[in-house]
Parts: sequence; structure tokens; C-alpha cells
Amino acid sequence: MIRFESVTKVYDQKSRPALNDVDLEIDRGDFAFLVGPSGSGKSTFLRLILREDRATTGNVYVAGKNVASVPSWRVPRLRRGIGVVFQDFRLLPNKDVFGNVAFAMQVIGRKRHAIRETVPEVLKLVGLEGKERRLPHELSGGEQQRVAIARAIVNKPGILLADEPTGNLDPATSVGIMNILDRINQNGTTVVMATHDDDIVNSMRRRVVELDNGSVVRDESAGEYTAMIPIVNADGTRELRPAKGIAPAAGGQAIAPFDSEEDEL
Amino acid sequence: MRLAFILGEIGTGLRRNLSMVVSVVLVTFVSLTFVGGAAMLQQQIGQMKGYWYDRVQVAIFLCGENYGSETCADGAVTEEQRADIEAMMESPAVAQYIESYVYESKDQALGHFREQFENSPIVDTVTADQLPESYRIRLVDPEKYEVINELFSSMPGVDVVVDQRELLEQIFSIMTVASFVSLSIAGIMIVCAVLLIATTIRLSAFSRRRETGIMRLVGASKLVIQLPFILEGVIAALIGAALATGALWAVGQFFIEGKLAKEYPDTAFISSSDVWIIAPGLVALGVVLAGVSSMLTLRRYLKV
Repeated sequence: MIRFESVTKVYDQKSRPALNDVDLEIDRGDFAFLVGPSGSGKSTFLRLILREDRATTGNVYVAGKNVASVPSWRVPRLRRGIGVVFQDFRLLPNKDVFGNVAFAMQVIGRKRHAIRETVPEVLKLVGLEGKERRLPHELSGGEQQRVAIARAIVNKPGILLADEPTGNLDPATSVGIMNILDRINQNGTTVVMATHDDDIVNSMRRRVVELDNGSVVRDESAGEYTAMIPIVNADGTRELRPAKGIAPAAGGQAIAPFDSEEDEL
Repeated sequence: MRLAFILGEIGTGLRRNLSMVVSVVLVTFVSLTFVGGAAMLQQQIGQMKGYWYDRVQVAIFLCGENYGSETCADGAVTEEQRADIEAMMESPAVAQYIESYVYESKDQALGHFREQFENSPIVDTVTADQLPESYRIRLVDPEKYEVINELFSSMPGVDVVVDQRELLEQIFSIMTVASFVSLSIAGIMIVCAVLLIATTIRLSAFSRRRETGIMRLVGASKLVIQLPFILEGVIAALIGAALATGALWAVGQFFIEGKLAKEYPDTAFISSSDVWIIAPGLVALGVVLAGVSSMLTLRRYLKV
């Protein structure tokens, strides 16, 4: 569904590339987490799929098409096949729940009766039935993100990109959002989710692609992710260090926040 | 559905940006009024040319007693000389230029003079002797005045050959200058209008960036995203053009027809209905200006 062939993206010639020779394939129906620290290239990865940017070298294929060769007037058609959800929801404050979701159908010229039929179905899928007439500021963060998800999937895209969808939400609400994303994935939509949230990645047990400095450093089919590991130094002080590249025995003891041995099995 | 949606978007845009839209309307109104004013002046010149060129003639004034010019050194024109002039006009070489001619005696000249200056006290002091006899010639082609001038001005008994068109040309040149002044004011105002439309569209694009961002993401076409903005500018310009047309019509109706035409009944004036010839041009100009400037602005400030 999404294929990167030795993709390099350079924003600024002087600095290092945002993505460096990335080869990756995400199949139809996959659920993939994209993890890594800020600046590792997660957002660039998503932007290349949406053709907000073009790869400097290499090819990006989305649904079998090389996005670089899609003429600019066909880009809207490409984007209709991709839903996007953001950390900051990006709802229209002056439209109610129904209006926000319907907006995505109106702007691509769907018929009114199709909108009246589809929007309630999707709102039911994300668990917002009965709240059609609420305005965004009358909703909780989790509900707002559900509206955003409903808007992203109302046109039945084959791919759903989520850029830290739980970044602004508390853990309990995040679980609700993840359940919805999982349900959408079960219906056959390919989901790519960029996140910093270790707990979610670890509890979902889905494919994990870790980016660092623009390169794929890890790609596991049912992986875990730990951004920070608390280290007890030789002198007894504790500090958090990035998880990668820390040898547990080297001068300190790594305390993993979860039981990592279970994962090996 | 899509049309209703786009119309709704335009409505929201116009409401949100009301003060800017009003200023766009006013600036296009003023600039198009000046453009239309220049066009009306040109129409008026054309009208007067058509009217006067039919009536204006070449006049060959004949010598009287003690006229200063060289050809009049022998005193007043004689019967012979008059016959010579008439023979010249009848001759085939000259007759091809002349449509018709009439002789105007001193008494007839006095009669015309009195008619023309009816209300002026000067009339009573002028006698027939002070006015010259003349031949009034209507030319087949008024532009061929020089031919007549060369042939007759050196003939004995001819005082001077006058092309009355020249007097009118002065009036026309003043009116032409006025229309150019009007056009240059219009030019400056149009620059204002274009910049103002660009700014308005830019503001509008900025205030609706959430909507357009989402439209891009869900795959709305370039047309659906940009059309509301372009139409917003075009609608404002259309209202401006309509106001300009109304103002010009009012000038035609109340000033030209209602005042000038009554005060100068022997002059041909354009009427208010002539504005309808200009109006489509004004509307087209307004629409093109607004459309082009908003498209250029969008290309720069609205990523699609």
C-alpha cells in the first residue's frame, strides 16, 4: 500500500537529510507505529506519503502509484485515498460535529443524501452518536479527536495517517482513541501512526518502525518501544537517557519499565 | 450540492471581511466611473463630429472695400471675379470635390449673424456692410479642405478661405485632453483597486486557512478551494461596476439630458442610453481585474 524505495529528503543542503535512504513497505491492512525522537523524520515520512513534499531522490509509491509522477491536478484524487488525523484535532470551530464531518464530503462534491446517510454511520463508529449538534468547544479532547477521526475516514480512504493522535490526551482517553483506530484497521484500512507514547505501542503489539536521524533503525512486526530509560548511575543518582545505544551493563543498571523478556517469545 | 456549498463559502467570506469588501466595492466604483467618464467623453466627441461635420463648411470670403489682404488690393470683389470663382467651382477638376455650394450675400450674412447672436447687444451695432460676402461650400470629403484652399485663396477677389472644422478641432482636442486626464486618474485608481483586491483576498485566505487546510487534506480540487476566493473578489468588483454604471447613467440622465441639452439645444449630446454601450465594458474590466489579481494572490498565498 505504501512503499518507500531508497527515499532521501533534503530540506536544506547544509544540514543532514530529514530522511536518509529509507526503504520500507507497509502492506494493505497493516497497522504500523512510526516511532522515534523529534526530528527523526516521522513527519517528513507522512508528508511524503501525502505529497506535501517530494522526495529529493528515490521513489514513494502509494496504492501502486509513484506519487512523484502524479500530476499536480491529480494530487487531490490521491489525497482522497488518504485520511489524516493530527495531534491538535484541527476542527472548524464554527461548525458542529455533523458539519465538521460533512465538510470533508461537501468539498469533494458528494451528494446531500449520501452525506446524510454516511455521516451518522461514521459518527456511530467513533462513538459520538447523539452529539451531532455539539460545537467543538463543547466537547472533551477525546471527543474532538473522535470527530477528527470521523472526518478522516468519512470518505473511506484506504490509508489513515495519524500524527501523534494521542499527544494531547490523557492515557485513559488515548486507549479509547486507539480502540477506534484498531477498529478502523480491522475494517481493512491501512493505519500508519506516528507517536511518542511508549505505553500505547507496547500494549498494541503491532508493527513498529523506529526512525532516528532520518534512517530506519528498527522494524519489528510486533515490537515495543521505549523512548527513555531511567538509569541508576554508579554514584546512585538517577536520570533518564534515550533508550537506544545504552548497554545495560555499562556503568549503570537499566531499569526497563516493562518486562522485556516476554517480548522475546 | 457543490454549487450550494461554494455559494455558502462565498457568503461566509464576504460577511467575515465586510469592511474590506466594502472598500473594494468603492474603489472599483470610483475607478470604473473614471474609465466610463473617459469613454463618455469620447462618445460625445464622436457624436459632435458626426453632427457638425455635416453642417460645417468651407467658407470662401470675398473681398470688400479696404480689406487688408494682398488679393483684395483692388478693392471689393467684382462681378467678373465672382463669375471666375463660380466657373472654377463648376470646372470638372474642382467639382469632384464639391458636393454643393451657395452664395451668401452681405444681407444674408447679416441675417445669419442676427440669428446666431440673438440675445447679444452686439447685434444692433453691426450692419450688412461690415460683413463679407461668401461662398459656402460643402465638400464631398471634408478632409480635402487643402485642395480648395490652394485653388481659391490666391484668386483675385478672394479674401480668405476658412475651414470651419478647425474651430471645432480645438474643442475636440480640449475634450480629448479631458478624457485622457480622466483615463489617467482611472489608471491610478485601478492600481489601487487591484492592490486592494489582492490584500482582501490575502486576508480572506488567511482567515480561512483552517478550512482550506482541511480541504487540501481531504482532497478537494484546486477549483473548489480557490473559486470562493476568486468569486469573492469578482462579486465585489461586479457591485463596483454596477454602481459606476448607475453613476454614469445618472450623469447622462440628469446632467447631460436634463441640463446641457436644454441649455444648448443646437448641440448634439449623448443621451443616458449611450451608457448601456459602455456598461458591458466596465463590467468586463472589473471582472477581469478582480479575477486576475485574486488568482495571482492565491497562487502566492494559498497553497493548494
